[in-house]
Amino acid sequence: MDRIQSILSVAGVGCFALAFVLSAVYPWAITSGTVTEATIAEVAERITPEFVDLAERYPAEFDRAHPGVREALTPQSVLADLGGSGDREAGLAAWREAHAKSLRRGRDIYVAEGCWHCHSQYVRPVSNEDIRFGPVSTWLQDNNALQRPVMWGTRRVGPDLTYEGGLRSNDWHAAHFWEPRNVSPGSVMPRFRWFFEEGFRLSRTIDPSIAERTGLAPETEYPIAGVYLTQADAEAARQRHIDALPSALRAEGERLNVTPARTLNSDGLSLIAYLQWLGTWQPTATSQED
Amino acid sequence: MTTADIPLPDDAAGDDGAVESANIGDLVHKRLIKAHFTFAVVFLLTSMTAGFLVSLNFLNHYPFPDVPWLSSGRLRFLHTNEIAYGFLVNAFVGAMYYAVPRMTGRPVASLKLGWFIFFVWQIIVFSASVGQALGFAQGVEWGETPTGFRPGSFDLQYIPVDLLVAVGALLVAFQFLMPLAKAFNKRLYVTGWYLTSGLIWLILTYVMGNVLPEWGMPGASGAATAGLFIHDLVGLFVTPMGWGLMYFFVPIILRTPMWSHALSVIGFWALAFFYPLNGVHHFLLSSIPMSVQYGAVISTMAVEIVVTTVVVNFFATMWGQGHALRSNLPIRWFYTGMVFYFITCLQCAFHTSLTMQAIIHFTDWVPGHAHLVMLGVFAFWNFGIITWLWPRLTGNEWHSRRLNHWHYWLTLIGLVIMFVDLLAAGVIHGNMLRDLVPWMVIVEAMKPYWGVRTFAGGMILIGQILWAYNLWKTARTPKPYDYRVDLVAQEVN
Repeated sequence: MDRIQSILSVAGVGCFALAFVLSAVYPWAITSGTVTEATIAEVAERITPEFVDLAERYPAEFDRAHPGVREALTPQSVLADLGGSGDREAGLAAWREAHAKSLRRGRDIYVAEGCWHCHSQYVRPVSNEDIRFGPVSTWLQDNNALQRPVMWGTRRVGPDLTYEGGLRSNDWHAAHFWEPRNVSPGSVMPRFRWFFEEGFRLSRTIDPSIAERTGLAPETEYPIAGVYLTQADAEAARQRHIDALPSALRAEGERLNVTPARTLNSDGLSLIAYLQWLGTWQPTATSQED
Repeated sequence: MTTADIPLPDDAAGDDGAVESANIGDLVHKRLIKAHFTFAVVFLLTSMTAGFLVSLNFLNHYPFPDVPWLSSGRLRFLHTNEIAYGFLVNAFVGAMYYAVPRMTGRPVASLKLGWFIFFVWQIIVFSASVGQALGFAQGVEWGETPTGFRPGSFDLQYIPVDLLVAVGALLVAFQFLMPLAKAFNKRLYVTGWYLTSGLIWLILTYVMGNVLPEWGMPGASGAATAGLFIHDLVGLFVTPMGWGLMYFFVPIILRTPMWSHALSVIGFWALAFFYPLNGVHHFLLSSIPMSVQYGAVISTMAVEIVVTTVVVNFFATMWGQGHALRSNLPIRWFYTGMVFYFITCLQCAFHTSLTMQAIIHFTDWVPGHAHLVMLGVFAFWNFGIITWLWPRLTGNEWHSRRLNHWHYWLTLIGLVIMFVDLLAAGVIHGNMLRDLVPWMVIVEAMKPYWGVRTFAGGMILIGQILWAYNLWKTARTPKPYDYRVDLVAQEVN
């Protein structure tokens, strides 16, 4: 009896092992095991236009997250070579590193906030999902370090995000995180106010005589693009604006004000960078086997 | 095989927990069991409160929208993890401190180790929840317990909870395998099989699910492993613990042997063989190779056969004693759970077909199913076990037996409403997805169902609060308990 029981205990562990081989090792051996997993640096190599746009819209916060990157190569010349410095390649390398860092951090926030419990990242070949969301998912496109652990999700309270990259603007995402119902009435998504922090921006009022001609409200503060983290930065920027004005228009400078505003923090920037990356990376054709 | 040949659990022959004639009762550490049960109920309440709060988010009435560590996305981790690791594990371990020594006639490895495990385990569950609230959750469903490491690296950024859980599971296994292994020389009752395997499988499963998808396997193969983890955790830990304890407590309370010992052994081995093969059915119609998916679907259907043998065995055991369902609340919890177990497994056999998957995957059908399994089956069984043991552990008569019935009915009716509601919502959601209905129209269509779900969740939560109050008052109010009140009178042939 003793011996039989020992054999059976081994069989108990054997059942676990059999299932492990059949439903984990075997699928691995015929999919991910046949090609090298793409690293984050590889998937971040193509810098999305939205990432560059983030650097332009939130310069202060971008500089804080990625110091020196905008100095190495201006955002304008990342996507199109506008000439200029000979160190373009070195600049691009800095940008790619910043992109990779943002994707990593953005994905970690995606996990930490539980985004993956209400949004999926896999398009099935049924239920018209390819019409609604995009091409049916392949294992090859998930064979990268940002899908470890895989973010396929479990429930679709919100839409699938496999091909979210580039579908909406950065501003849309920022507004959506601030209050989802402002841009998507009826949404049940929680708001994420902790992706934002207090900052300052410049705004201006309108000369009453111009306001009368154009019909604009003279008392309203019209914002000027760009958000600054400290009041001193904003004041300095105000001074630069005033200095740049032609002397005839100096009076306009009096109407420039520094007002409190909110800006995305680096967590918000990274999460948006990650969302804007989703679906933009394609595995190279050489690794395609079936 | 006739019932006369069947070995009973050692104390099923007649003696009872409260009045000990034999020394066997001295092997049971009552204070340790009470401690585990107390924290099981504490985590039950926090988990259900979290679930209730998250459901409010779906109605746009979430009370703490701007508190990061209380955000509904993070509370969902707490809801599932505290039920699995806080409630179920504490309740199972507590019940095993009662069942294992009495069944094997031997003490557990060490009482001191027992208290050590108890404190370590509560710290684990607590630090897991705190880690998740602070944003250190791991991206594996049911395994969101923080790894402690920065994702994709080995830089420690928080308490390595995963590692502690694995060590804790090892200690628990050591604690109970000492008496169980010695009993192997005798003829080991089926409960021993279930508990022994469950304890070993838990370690293997937990390590596999928390290590491989994070550090080993990307994409589709990682998903296959994560699916295997989800299923093994339920199928190779929670289910064996649950059935093992049912095989122990049901014959004791009914004072009758199991109908067929042979059938119980068949049920055990079929579970061991078929259950883990189901793993991949959590990600059907995905980019996991289709051969693996078909295998998972077929073995899921095979599980239904297993389930039928076990359920038939228990209902045949109950034959002729149906009055116990009315007179004995623990038995009612157990058998209600078994009915739900049958329903939930039957549901599995159908909804893992690719035809149904096309509609119900990614919808509320799945949470509906999950609530029936975790609450309707395994929590119900633990409610029954704790309800049966509590007066025996404290030596006090119930503060109010009526409150226990309120607990039963509120939980049962709440769960049935929630289950039917989420199933209906799932079917409608799935069809609207397929019919390319605009997204926000679907969300609006789901809101009434989410409202009903919140209502049902509120019923369930109130039931647990009443029960917790009753347990507390019972423990605090000395009133001698006469175990004969709870004996199921019967004529065993």
